Amino acid sequence: MRTLAALVVLIPTLAAADQVFLKDAGSVEGRIVEQTATSVKVDVGGGIVGFPMDRVDRIVKGRCALDDYEDRASKLGPKDLAGWKKLGRWAADQGLSAQAKHAYKQVLKVDPNDADANAAMGLVQLDGKWVTEEESYRARGYVQYDGEWMTPAEAQIAQTREANDRARRDAEQRARDAEAATREAESRAKEAEARAKEAESRQYNYPMYWGGWGYGVSTWPAGPAGGKR
Amino acid sequence: MCGVASSIALAALAMAATGAPPPTVDSVVSDYIAARGGLAKIRSLQTLRQKGHAFAGPGREAVVVRELKRPGKVRFEFTHQGITGVYVTDGTKGWQVAPFHGDASVHPMSEDAVADAMEQADIEGPLIDWKAKGHVVELAGRETIGGHDAFKLKVTLKSGGTRFDYIDAKTHYEVRTEMTREIGGRPVRMETSFADHRMTNGILFPRTIEVAAAGRPNPLRIVVDSIELNPTISDERFKRPAGLD
Repeated sequence: MRTLAALVVLIPTLAAADQVFLKDAGSVEGRIVEQTATSVKVDVGGGIVGFPMDRVDRIVKGRCALDDYEDRASKLGPKDLAGWKKLGRWAADQGLSAQAKHAYKQVLKVDPNDADANAAMGLVQLDGKWVTEEESYRARGYVQYDGEWMTPAEAQIAQTREANDRARRDAEQRARDAEAATREAESRAKEAEARAKEAESRQYNYPMYWGGWGYGVSTWPAGPAGGKR
Repeated sequence: MCGVASSIALAALAMAATGAPPPTVDSVVSDYIAARGGLAKIRSLQTLRQKGHAFAGPGREAVVVRELKRPGKVRFEFTHQGITGVYVTDGTKGWQVAPFHGDASVHPMSEDAVADAMEQADIEGPLIDWKAKGHVVELAGRETIGGHDAFKLKVTLKSGGTRFDYIDAKTHYEVRTEMTREIGGRPVRMETSFADHRMTNGILFPRTIEVAAAGRPNPLRIVVDSIELNPTISDERFKRPAGLD
């Protein structure tokens, strides 16, 4: 009963489960929490995303994975380790990482050392202890450069390349400044803006390299799925 | 270069000692094609749909679907937390809808992603009919991949890109591809390893693909759960939205 109550807080109970198809491509599956003539907001289980209606192709009412998750979770007792593990695995298979984490949290309450649950919570085993990925990378000698973990040698190569690029850019910039001194102020303003954008883009967000199977997604999405409820 | 030449010479000597003819590009590719199910079967592949899961580290898992259609069309869908992003190339240009941050609009795909997509757009892979496609393939030696002897093929694509394909000397399966991509302004060497090869209706496919970027600690692993050969896939799935030119 307590579990069910927790889920009600976690996932607001709504009347319908919907799939919102966007024009041209893409879709969002979840529950509509608000729909007006101009916009629609969908609870996807890990957060709420909104879209203007002029981008929406069609909305299909139906039962979604969130409903199934809620049903299955409500039937599990708090000590049902196997049941929560199975549900966590199922949620992960559906791409419902927030629900998977919720299920695995129940597993950890019963068995704090469960390997699947710890992995699902983003922890890795290092010398018999469960630690964060960041801690494991540091312990294994990796360094963080430009928002990515890499070997010190790779970081050195990248740093040298960037220094050379910056020197080249600076030289080009000086030449341009000499030719057009009157545009210097404008040029510096643009450069500052570019640096700000670059700094923003360097925030660590798990780069993904597909290398020949899949493409397009360059960083792990941290939008609503990684957001707070 | 010396290393490559000497390993080819050594391979030739070894073959001469056993009486078998030394491997050539044509014999390696021919064995590879046979192991995949044969040229006729591969050429019969007009469309392909693969579904699976991508794992990018602990707690990061997504559902992925890849659709390919001759000529040169690829559609890739990435579903995470109920949101599906779509990345498409029609063989020339790419576009995407990635509503993960609430942005439902259509955007042109990045050059890096288009480069990835273009290489995948060849539904049968670059080694099939490579001469007709204008690629150049050279035997660049032998290496040990995962404890097994493999032929190393240097593939210079017609587009100018270069990749190395490794063909297991015993099974003749493709076990690894290496390529370099410009990512974030830096060249990054990537190794894509293929494992768990299985036949699907007479054509061989790897069911586990692992992509490791040089010096990065966390590889991306893709597990292919299902493969459909020649499913009906409408051209509309790859159609570029108006106004994106």
